[in-house]
Amino acid sequence: MEKNKKLPTAKIALGILLLALPFIFTAVGFQYGVLVCCFGFLYIIAVSGLDIDFGYCGQISMGHAAFFAIGAYGSVMMHQYFHIPILLTMILATILAAAVGAVIAYPASKLVFHFLSLATIAFGEIIYSLLLNSPGGVTGNAVGLFTDPINLFGISLSSNEGFYYFGLVCTVIFLTAKWLMVNSKVGRAWVAIRENSHAAGGMGINVTKYKVMAFSVSAFYTGFAGAMYAHLVRYIGPDTFTQKQSVMFVTMMLFGGTGSIFGPIVGAMLVFSITEGLRMFEQYQMLIYGALLLVVIVALPGGVYGEAKKLVVRLMQKRNGGEGNAA
Amino acid sequence: MLLEIDNLCLSFGGLKATNDVTMHMEEKKINGIIGPNGAGKTTFFNQISGVYKPDSGSIVFDGKRIDGLKPFQINEAGIARTYQVINLFKKMSVIENVMVGMHPRLKARFFDSLLHNKKQKDEEEKARQKALDLLDFVGLREFAYTQAGSLSYGQQRLLEIVRGLASDPKLILLDEPAAGMNSTEKVELNVLLRQILERGVTILIVEHDMKLMMDISDRIFVLNYGKKLAEGTPEEIQKNPEVIAAYLGGDDE
Amino acid sequence: MLLQILVSGFVLGCVYGLIALGYSLIYKSSGLMNFVQGDVLTLGAFLGYTFYSLLGLPYWVALILTVLTAFVFGLLMEKFVIRKLLSKSVLAIYIVLATIAIQYILQNAIQAIWSTKMLNYPQIFPVPSVSVAGVMVQSESIFCIVMSFVCMAGLQFFMKYTRFGTAMRAAAMDAKAAQACGINTSLSTGVSWGIAAGMAALAGILLGPIYGVFIMLGSTIGRKGFAGAIMGGYGNMYGAIVGGILLGLVETLVAGYLSSTYKDMIAYALLLLFLFVKPTGIFNERAITE
Repeated sequence: MEKNKKLPTAKIALGILLLALPFIFTAVGFQYGVLVCCFGFLYIIAVSGLDIDFGYCGQISMGHAAFFAIGAYGSVMMHQYFHIPILLTMILATILAAAVGAVIAYPASKLVFHFLSLATIAFGEIIYSLLLNSPGGVTGNAVGLFTDPINLFGISLSSNEGFYYFGLVCTVIFLTAKWLMVNSKVGRAWVAIRENSHAAGGMGINVTKYKVMAFSVSAFYTGFAGAMYAHLVRYIGPDTFTQKQSVMFVTMMLFGGTGSIFGPIVGAMLVFSITEGLRMFEQYQMLIYGALLLVVIVALPGGVYGEAKKLVVRLMQKRNGGEGNAA
Repeated sequence: MLLEIDNLCLSFGGLKATNDVTMHMEEKKINGIIGPNGAGKTTFFNQISGVYKPDSGSIVFDGKRIDGLKPFQINEAGIARTYQVINLFKKMSVIENVMVGMHPRLKARFFDSLLHNKKQKDEEEKARQKALDLLDFVGLREFAYTQAGSLSYGQQRLLEIVRGLASDPKLILLDEPAAGMNSTEKVELNVLLRQILERGVTILIVEHDMKLMMDISDRIFVLNYGKKLAEGTPEEIQKNPEVIAAYLGGDDE
Repeated sequence: MLLQILVSGFVLGCVYGLIALGYSLIYKSSGLMNFVQGDVLTLGAFLGYTFYSLLGLPYWVALILTVLTAFVFGLLMEKFVIRKLLSKSVLAIYIVLATIAIQYILQNAIQAIWSTKMLNYPQIFPVPSVSVAGVMVQSESIFCIVMSFVCMAGLQFFMKYTRFGTAMRAAAMDAKAAQACGINTSLSTGVSWGIAAGMAALAGILLGPIYGVFIMLGSTIGRKGFAGAIMGGYGNMYGAIVGGILLGLVETLVAGYLSSTYKDMIAYALLLLFLFVKPTGIFNERAITE
């Protein structure tokens, strides 16, 4: 009962903290923290999406950088060539990413996991080479493209603080949507497919349809994150959308823990902070991802959040057991 | 007739796993399929449930042709099934397993699920209540929120059946439901099968336990080497010399 | 012109074939995928360079040392990472991801030990090129093709006619039954990972003198080796060779007659096409479906 009372207070406190965070960072003279959070938000959205695909539905993707790219380039190019306002281009590019995701997912849904990882790698490489050698150079090829900040009904989000609040709102929306989806008939079907796709089919679930749905929704999330990235950095070049980026998403997801709302949050923030903190070793970035990935796979199969949750549950059981004995 | 199977054939390579089998099954009856090991019972089952597509012949269920449909479509048409090897969603809770079983009967579309609108919420609440009732029916209600994988073997078998019933099927296919059960559990299963029948669900059961089959079946079909050897009431089957020979022959090998 | 293109296509194709053969071997023996193959090729090219150019060993000795080192690397990786994970019964996808992690660690380790600069082998043969049907062909290219075929034939012989090869095939077909027959299946699995690594390193030391040695030498080749293996029929030995050579030829022909910009894209598109439309490949290998 006490726990139920505490929960809303905790939520309100967290909300106030998140709203006040830019001011706190400014007060302590750590302006850079705001930018870290801005990146954090978009990675949380991207990785939460990947988690819908892998953590819930059990389909791996080693090529999500492609959807990140479609979101980013789509939004920038629509704005540049057709002068569509930026918020609208972000949404359109995100829908495009989801559509491309569905098209790829349909034939890919029949593949066993390691062939699926191969197919997604190949897809990522194809998109990357398209960015690098686009017809007519529309993507700026190796040079990339510069773009403008997000314009929210006349208010330009050119400051990091402005983007922070935009990112916060988007993150809350995307995470809420994820929570609603996974706690419904759709989420149950996804988990059933992950657990046993044969039995899921036998229970009347159209496995192909739900797999395509999960992949497409996940591309939607990652695509939107890509569009956020483009207008935060205001420059995009092909080097951001290599396989390295896909591996980073997977590392973040596994490091945080799959199949939950909080795992991807923890994973995205931790891995991003670690790589930022080790920026001076940038040439060894892949070594860091590789090592983190290996550590998680060998030592923390549930990810940081998953293992921490297990630990808490165990401690609670112990404490409750102790109280029970005392009473 | 609820299920009419005519001249069904399926071969793997040169082996005729199902060879010109015809079976007609009445509604609200317990139909049993028996046969020596390797008689092709599971293969036959898998054609009804859509795992395999027959080479020729037809399967008509409730007046509608279903042969060659995919497993999920066959479930939608009203045929549920259980598996010989336990095939639960181990990491989901017991009640979620049952609710997955209801999937084809839930009408919420993707956007209803995304928005959790009133229609979706009401439906979910009803589904949850119905799942609890079903769990009550087999005595698993107290385990509703435990992980399916942590149930005992016998309980997992029951959950398989109840998950199948969740889609309100007209016909349920039970693939060796008594496998691995002790004698008490078998008696309970016997009772449960009759209760399922009382709910208006037709049963098609494949089972090795001859005592259970003779006791419970209204009509028995015997398969041997992919062919239908005989059909009739349990009494007729027990007296059929061909059936006896097949079983004795099977023992020789 | 055409002949020259065909020769370089063949060189590339043989390299893909060697890599693809390694994938097939690992897949047959353990049902897994090993993403490290391409970077073992890079490792082989660097090791060969070190032995031959820096330590001044004869090329043959350098070649044998390189292949042996890689063999041990493959064996150890199977024993200390893959086996460990298998014994924890983690999901197979995590093991595949672990090989991807190792791939990046190896890439960075190579970068730390050697350099990010392109290195060039000194000339290996006294004659830099030979005339074949009126066209001058680099000696190293001919050597690469010959050695690849020798290696592929040797592997076939080893698998078919030696006791150990037979044991490996048995273990690949049915590990439990093989174990019951007294075959040490864990040894045979380890050896197949070792052989796969050895072949990749061989491809590296053969390719190094032609392409030059650099960090990313193997990573694209590794992935295209996959494409070759899939095209041939994943898990099929002949399929791996045929698929690899075919891909090498297609790629070089496209680069030669159309445009070199899209040659990578075409290789990946072919991979996707086969995966989506004909996953059993040219040799109709069914290993992939179940």
